[in-house]
Amino acid sequence: MSARGARRFVADLLRGRRPRSFRADDTDVEQLRAAITLRAAQPGSATPSEEFVTDLHRRLAAQLAREEMEEPIPAPRPVVDSTRRKLVAASSIAVAAAAAGAVLDHTVISRGPAQSGAGGQQTLVPSTGQWRTVSVSADLAEGGVQGFDLGTVVGFVARTGGALRAVSGVCTHLGCRLALDAAARRLDCPCHRTSFAVSGELLRYQLPVPPAALPQFEVRELHGEVQVYAPPGPVI
Amino acid sequence: MGRTGCGQAAAARMGAGADERGADAPQLRVVDGEFYPDWEAVYRDNVGRVYRLMFAKVGNRPDAEDLTAEVFLAALRPLRVSASVGEVRAYLSATARTVLAGYWRRTLGREVTMLTDDEGLEFMPAETAVASDAAARAGVILAGLPEPYRRILQLRFVESCSVREAAAALGISVAYAKVLQHRALRRAAQLEVDR
Repeated sequence: MSARGARRFVADLLRGRRPRSFRADDTDVEQLRAAITLRAAQPGSATPSEEFVTDLHRRLAAQLAREEMEEPIPAPRPVVDSTRRKLVAASSIAVAAAAAGAVLDHTVISRGPAQSGAGGQQTLVPSTGQWRTVSVSADLAEGGVQGFDLGTVVGFVARTGGALRAVSGVCTHLGCRLALDAAARRLDCPCHRTSFAVSGELLRYQLPVPPAALPQFEVRELHGEVQVYAPPGPVI
Repeated sequence: MGRTGCGQAAAARMGAGADERGADAPQLRVVDGEFYPDWEAVYRDNVGRVYRLMFAKVGNRPDAEDLTAEVFLAALRPLRVSASVGEVRAYLSATARTVLAGYWRRTLGREVTMLTDDEGLEFMPAETAVASDAAARAGVILAGLPEPYRRILQLRFVESCSVREAAAALGISVAYAKVLQHRALRRAAQLEVDR
């Protein structure tokens, strides 16, 4: 006999309290369902309280921050082909929703032009700059990549198809310093799993908004030295 | 304890809600192909919807809040990947279904209420429509009951009157109001079964 449990459940419901659990039978279930249906119609009840909404927002932000710190960097998986400005959504949401039996009435996910970097890659030209040597030509063979730190700026210089290209070594998302994966000729952000090509193009990201491509430096080769146009070094 | 909801105003508001329904219906799925800029936008846009969905299924604030939190905490990780508004909502609805089923398993061992496939967030056009949906469902139950049963349930459940207030409104004793409520709910449950 669980009539008492059902009565207590209804009493809790009417007081706006969390109903206590009990082993319900079929008769109980019908009564509780009717009670809940009626209770759901009380005016004003369908709006969550401001405190609850704020508190849950804080909890979610905390969980998000925790997970980002704990997550290891996964194997490279190209998600974005930024040159074609097309987002191939290998979206785990779509997969999860489908797996859970949710009906999706569209399967093609395409997205408008990436919001950042729409004007192409920026070139960093300092107001007061000078040509500063970052490497010697002999050390930078075809296909080679080297990092440099000039005190005022950090970056990477690469020789591809005979041409030199130098890009900023700071992630355009939140400013973490990029790490060179020389074998893959890729620059990885240690903070949010964003990767750039050594040419500065965005290769992959797992952020709501794609970060901009890396700004490039003017670069030249003179008397066997590789130089970039950068602000003068700090006074030591 | 404040019983501000007890009285005529509640009934009037309930009636008004039902009329707004049709006007909102055409808004269905207009934002399906759009995208959220970040998880906070996902949260802001959907927390009210998830909460309303849950309240309609559990009928009390503490549980509706807990279940809403459970849905967002569980869905958070996959939500960080970009997907359309429609897909985010479909995913939240799928999560909500699982969370609600788990709640009933834990508390009563039976699924008292369920979120059906056409009750997801993606089919939820406007706030007023959802509120009046609940009112309409309650209205169906109440309409099938004889007058004294209908009134006691209306006063107690929908208008949040105390037993004492309901008894006074009906001109009966508190003891009889309790008996009446119990019988009325049993009859309401029977209506549900017959339908």
